[in-house]
Amino acid sequence: MRKDLIDRIMSASGLVVRVCVYVMLALPAVIVIVSSFAADNVLSFPPTGFSLRWYKSAFANEEFMSSLWTSTYIGILASCLSLGIGFAAAFAIDRYEFPGRAAFQALALSPLIVPGIVLGIGLLYLFAWTGLNQTLAGILLAHVVLAIPYVVRTVLASLSLFDRRLEEAAMNLRAPPWVVLRRVTFPMLLPGVLSAAVFAFVVSFGNVTVTAFLTYDDTVTLPVRLFSYVQQSSGPFVAAISSIMIAVTLIVILAIERLIGAERLA
Amino acid sequence: MQSTPAKPGRECLLLLISPLLAILIAFLVLPLVWLFRASFYTGEGFVERSGFSLAHYEHFLFDAYYLSVLVETLLYGVVTAVVCALIGFPVGYSLARLAPARRRWRMIIVILPLTLSLVVVVFGWVAVLGRSGLVNSILVASGLFDSPKTLLFNKTAVVVVLVQQTIPFMILSVMSVVAQIDPVLEHAAANLRANRFVTLTRVVIPLAAPGILAGFVLVFVIAISAFITPMLVGGSRIRMMGSFIYEQMMSSMNWSFGAAMAFIILGAGLLFTALLNALARRFVRR
Repeated sequence: MRKDLIDRIMSASGLVVRVCVYVMLALPAVIVIVSSFAADNVLSFPPTGFSLRWYKSAFANEEFMSSLWTSTYIGILASCLSLGIGFAAAFAIDRYEFPGRAAFQALALSPLIVPGIVLGIGLLYLFAWTGLNQTLAGILLAHVVLAIPYVVRTVLASLSLFDRRLEEAAMNLRAPPWVVLRRVTFPMLLPGVLSAAVFAFVVSFGNVTVTAFLTYDDTVTLPVRLFSYVQQSSGPFVAAISSIMIAVTLIVILAIERLIGAERLA
Repeated sequence: MQSTPAKPGRECLLLLISPLLAILIAFLVLPLVWLFRASFYTGEGFVERSGFSLAHYEHFLFDAYYLSVLVETLLYGVVTAVVCALIGFPVGYSLARLAPARRRWRMIIVILPLTLSLVVVVFGWVAVLGRSGLVNSILVASGLFDSPKTLLFNKTAVVVVLVQQTIPFMILSVMSVVAQIDPVLEHAAANLRANRFVTLTRVVIPLAAPGILAGFVLVFVIAISAFITPMLVGGSRIRMMGSFIYEQMMSSMNWSFGAAMAFIILGAGLLFTALLNALARRFVRR
């Protein structure tokens, strides 16, 4: 049976490819975490011995800790700002008819397709001219721009699943508008809004391609600090710092997954 | 789309959309316009902001060395996108056909490199491919190599890392389009005695083409503008536009030339996208 043979080859090769891709996707993160617990001074795999010394030196390193703080701080602010701006925009796109709505939505999602390096040096020019260079505000604004498409997409998805008849039913039952808002609209949108916020946080927290052009003096975000550090040396110390970032990212992804389900992670 | 389109007050609508408009026009559109203008400045640095000349573009386009870097960069983009399409398609397809409960961990693995900071991902590969990294240990232990080899700082390593960081875009793009294809069509093909290969090439791939194309373009654009990966994984031997631009901006301080190069890479990306779309349209019409 020729047909059987082809089918079998297809499913076997499909399986091999899928396994390889999943291994490739997870490999860097897994290796980083494993080697961060190494006892020796150089990055080697399999690591010899187990120790937490690199975590100790990571948490004792003032430069990296101040960067971690900077990144967290900017991330939270960027998350709040982009959530406010993006939610309003998504709400308008979902509930209002207005000329240029499609173009408006395209604009809101466009930061996703502008290469980081292009936006980075564009902002470098703009900030150098407006005096926003070498300010935290500049970095923050860049991160808000980067996070907006994620917020708009996530909130739009949860708004499109929202059944407006529930609001109408509540109003038919004579619930006053604020009660409808508080008891119906808000609880139903909450998972989407929360995941939009954490998405925005993680986008800001991990960004390097744009931020690399905007940091200055002591105000260096953690990924950019790591980028300049890795250019000179790599070792279990970097692995420990990287593992902290992986942990933060993983927690965020799992939180989003809990809130809105793996289906709509992307 | 809505059951009851709200009759808005114009002011209310304006209030909702103006923050986004303001911030994206000020900090996305304006920087790009400015950058474009800056690429025509006569001076080099930031101080001499005046004049109009094509000098920076000429400097680039009439120099065989720079042109070869551009060509190499575009080749990296094409190779990365082709590899992503070839190995990303089966993954995206199977994800779309999988029961939601079994999709969970696979989705998390696919999303992780997208949300994880790029530096961490690239550093992970340095640890995997380094002299005493995982791959070398396996190869030496299995007796294939006598001593560890330098697996970093070559073209293959750069392509592998670029593929890993961009393939989620391809997978998700394929997944969303395959989810729209009714499995009944595939059953019908099977009933007509088509084997899986015929079903794939005659039914699934033509229907999934828009998703593959969208993923292809996204992967290509990201790959040609990469600078972290060529700098950390490629070292000094790998030449890509992104690392050139980074050097011009941050070390040589020749901003105008950096701006011109950024627009050359942006233009090349747009041109490639348009070309691919035109080809696809022709293919579909036929």
